[in-house]
Amino acid sequence: MDRRIRQLAEQVDAHHISRREFVRRTALITGSTAVGLGVLSSMAHAQGPKMRVWLFKSYVTGGNDILAKQVEGWAAERKVQVEFDWATFGDREQKFVAAIEAGNPPDIAEMNYQGPLRYRPALRDVTKLAKDLAAPRGGLLPFAERVAQLNGQYSGIPRLVFGGGLHIRKDILAEKGLKMPKLYDPDVLDVARKCQDTSKDLWGFGQTLNRCDDGNAFMQNILWDYGGATWDKDGKPALGTTYLKENMAALQFAVDSIQKHKVQPPGVMSWTDVSNNEAYMAGKLVCTNNGASLYYAMGARKHPLYEKTQVLLTPGGPAGTFVASNPYCWGLFKASKNAELAEDLVRWVEDEKRFEEYMTACAGQAGTVYKTRAEHPYWKSDPNYEGMLQNILRGVWNGYPGPLTPASIEVQAQYILCDMAGRVVVGGLSVEAALKEAHKRVEEIHRIRSRA
Amino acid sequence: MAISTAQLPGELTNRPGRVGLKRVLGPDYRMAYLFITPIVLLVLSLVAYPFTYAIYLSMTHKLVGLPPVFVGFENYIRLTWDGFFQRAVVNSFIFTFGSVGFKLVLGVVMALVLTANIRWRSFWTGVLLIPWVAPTVVSALNFLWIFDGSLGVLNYVLVRVLGVLPQGLGWLSEPGLAMASVVAVNIWRGFPFFGISFLAGMKAIPAELYEAAEVDGASVVQRFRHITLPGIRNIMIIVVLLSTIWTFNDFQIIYILTKGGPGGTTMVMPVFTYETAFGAQRLGEAIAVALYLLPALAVTIMVLARYMRKGRKA
Repeated sequence: MDRRIRQLAEQVDAHHISRREFVRRTALITGSTAVGLGVLSSMAHAQGPKMRVWLFKSYVTGGNDILAKQVEGWAAERKVQVEFDWATFGDREQKFVAAIEAGNPPDIAEMNYQGPLRYRPALRDVTKLAKDLAAPRGGLLPFAERVAQLNGQYSGIPRLVFGGGLHIRKDILAEKGLKMPKLYDPDVLDVARKCQDTSKDLWGFGQTLNRCDDGNAFMQNILWDYGGATWDKDGKPALGTTYLKENMAALQFAVDSIQKHKVQPPGVMSWTDVSNNEAYMAGKLVCTNNGASLYYAMGARKHPLYEKTQVLLTPGGPAGTFVASNPYCWGLFKASKNAELAEDLVRWVEDEKRFEEYMTACAGQAGTVYKTRAEHPYWKSDPNYEGMLQNILRGVWNGYPGPLTPASIEVQAQYILCDMAGRVVVGGLSVEAALKEAHKRVEEIHRIRSRA
Repeated sequence: MAISTAQLPGELTNRPGRVGLKRVLGPDYRMAYLFITPIVLLVLSLVAYPFTYAIYLSMTHKLVGLPPVFVGFENYIRLTWDGFFQRAVVNSFIFTFGSVGFKLVLGVVMALVLTANIRWRSFWTGVLLIPWVAPTVVSALNFLWIFDGSLGVLNYVLVRVLGVLPQGLGWLSEPGLAMASVVAVNIWRGFPFFGISFLAGMKAIPAELYEAAEVDGASVVQRFRHITLPGIRNIMIIVVLLSTIWTFNDFQIIYILTKGGPGGTTMVMPVFTYETAFGAQRLGEAIAVALYLLPALAVTIMVLARYMRKGRKA
């Protein structure tokens, strides 16, 4: 209760004022409060339009802070009220689904590679803006181009792709006189076997095949590395047909790394995205594939392994080295009443100087999606960044060698390839049976999505 | 020309229908409608409408941002033959009945211990309630660390401290162990509810019954079987019923610990629903998954409820 009204009530109780007087004064207080609130509201409107901005909260916290600061700077300059919201790996898609279905999406959002195609019905056509930004930056890298547009119509503006690669203990390799690995088989296996010391709980290789982004990325890459793929050139399911032989070899290697070669720690099949980071930083792994967030975390904490780590190009297989590059994009929603402001915000944060400030705070995590940004001297400022850049430049898109499609996205989102590996390692299926089972699921997804 | 009711003769306004209603529903039936209306409106808007709409959506092909397309029973038929869905159904029953069975036994043991004459009974009651009171997310995250193959405390104790195992186990990644681990967490979290409920039931049993039985020469087991168990029978049914529903719908423990993996080994219906809704983003099918076992659950609940009523009448 308002303090003044409470005092009035006490006065009534004490018979200092009449009830009529109480009602009169209360009405006066309530009315003046309402008028005051109305004035405050109109003052708030005078501060400019309100925009809802959803940003991605990455593990690289330094980058998050800088991006938020840049958006705030833009808001102050343009006299816009910004309402921030952050989404991370675990709650990002749920928030988008809920907001779109409720008809209440933000004005602008940072989304992963799945967003532009998945949320296309709710996103604005940003072809002109995307081309305006790409042209002076030498154009988009192929994987980014594929993710952001469909039939030449852009529904997203690529921003960055996570740098990363094989994080390996160079001190242990030097001690054993071993070379840096280039192929999984035999190089990584050889290094893993020779460096592993289970009595000290040190394991040669840490790569989960479990249902998480790390498992997904590895499974996708290893199929390509062995000459296989989930999809053919036309975007049709090929897991258990066109590339059956190659995919079998790839899956066999993945499973063998756990079951036969025994170079992976116990429990690796239950790992999530952070598990390998933790195990590596605890000194329990000789090498692991990860995004730059691992290197960033070690640097930020002044971890002793920071200096002892080399980040390499992700190892390859008989068909070469392939890396799934899944860029983050800006998405501008149709429902927004501030379309021009949203475009202006994208131009603001994508300004080269501002992106440079952001990129240098991200320790390789803010990889380039534009050709000229790959030439930035930053990528030569640390030998580990060079490995990360190589990964980015070799990047291919989800769905490769076919197009990126809603079906190829859904196969990733449903962890079909991870389940396939899990069915062999844990479920006891043969490699061929698991591949065929997964192929059926892929076909079903393709059928459903094609109809849509 | 319109005739107002005021101009009508008295016998016409007192229609027999109205008199009948008054006789059947009582003199204040108009007031009753007034009182019932808000509840009826609430139930219609918050239960009936969403439920009916969910049934409709489950029969559509509904993708995010696009209008639903009616497909009849296609989602249900497709699910019926989906191997991963079938495994999720089987896993759900294993998870539910495995957990509830153990919780029932542990709950009875807990209640018996707490009714016995032990020191610091209140303290132990409080301690045993902690798993039930702690937020599930917090407990599950702690167990994620406990079960971790490389950094987990369980492997550390078994391998390094006790030396029972030569090498750590993949508690959440090996066949059989993964399901057993998530069931164990559910049991750990849920048994205090059983224990406390049974404790309340046991305290309501008159002490004279036990004294009389003892005088008649009944053993401890006989007293438990013929006095304690019948005394807490109704509570037991309610607790089992509630726990079955809660466990069947438990999402947090499995999602945090395994996300249904590896390879679908621990995939249960709630996680499958979630994955279909937010992973696959097929909303119609996700609702079909959620509704698929509703009839079976409803029948279970009805049977149990009838059984309870029968017991009460007897």
